[in-house]
Amino acid sequence: MGQIVGAFGIPHNPHFPTWVQGGHPLAEEIQGMYRPLALAFERMRPDTLLYITSDHYNMFWETLPVFAIGVAESARGASDYPELDRELPIAAPLAREIHKHLIRSDFDVAMLQELEFDHTVIAPLHFLMPATEVPVIPVYVNAFVRPLPSASRCLALGREIRAAIESSPAPTRVVVAGSGSFSLEIGGPRISEDSHTGVPDPGWLDRVLELLEGGAVEELVAEATDSQLWRAGNAGGEVLDWIAMLGTFDPRPPEYLDVQRPFGHAFAGWTLDGTRST
Amino acid sequence: MYAVNKLCRRVVHEPALREALERDPERALRAARPPLSEEEVRALIAGDVGSLSKAGCNHFLLHQLGRWQLFGLDLPTYADRIRAAHKAERS
Repeated sequence: MGQIVGAFGIPHNPHFPTWVQGGHPLAEEIQGMYRPLALAFERMRPDTLLYITSDHYNMFWETLPVFAIGVAESARGASDYPELDRELPIAAPLAREIHKHLIRSDFDVAMLQELEFDHTVIAPLHFLMPATEVPVIPVYVNAFVRPLPSASRCLALGREIRAAIESSPAPTRVVVAGSGSFSLEIGGPRISEDSHTGVPDPGWLDRVLELLEGGAVEELVAEATDSQLWRAGNAGGEVLDWIAMLGTFDPRPPEYLDVQRPFGHAFAGWTLDGTRST
Repeated sequence: MYAVNKLCRRVVHEPALREALERDPERALRAARPPLSEEEVRALIAGDVGSLSKAGCNHFLLHQLGRWQLFGLDLPTYADRIRAAHKAERS
């Protein structure tokens, strides 16, 4: 049977790979935050990376699924940042098994038979798996265009993904990642004085970190209301990707947790097969 | 605002549209589908993202005009105009 051997929460700033390559002043900090997770990822020896993210108006616009899963054999990206070009294999057979399980469990998840990755997948994987090509399974949660799914529904989705993996007959080692910020405004009225982005609710950022540190997933779900996510910024819904990820294992404090406050996001890691991730 | 949002989204993915908007903005905007209103065309040509923001345009999509440096915008100019348009609610 399949096994979830680790989980990560990661941001997906599209500029980080080029900043690091170009020697940006934050290059060392960015690499330093991804490095423990990349090393843990390698130690976990995953066969598959199930990657929960939110499309940034790149793949979906005219039609907007609440949840979707990629079942193609592979996909390229980043569609919105062509300079990050990379093709990644998709673990299509397991993706189809998970999709079938979700539909039978009353989750009406859209099936993507062709897709392009955007920066939310490609930018973090530049750091998390720079050389290896572990097949991915992309799962999309609508975190941008209201109405958004509720936090409890996203948690339930994560739990059902876990059930699907654990009922799969093949002994696949799966790492789950959830990607997004906790408080972030992009281009809207709540941007900072010196950027086209901002962190409108640093108090919520701290609260999410506190709840993560305590393994308090149910409390996080209760507090992640739609109005709270809106106060957190027009990308504040991305915490739903983390919540879906948190649904794929029993609540516990992370072994690694770090924050980049000016960006409103964090890095976290959980090892789930007994070995430490940091 | 759907038509403006859609145009901004296409800007990210269609280099030919970006070139057309640089070459002859009014012509490219009038060819857009779904059609833009006269008011929307005027605001876009003027780089008046403040008005478009106040009218309810999606900010993630709107900021792409600054990112791709269309209609006399860049990201700092875009941000200045958004801050100016929302000065009252920001104070």
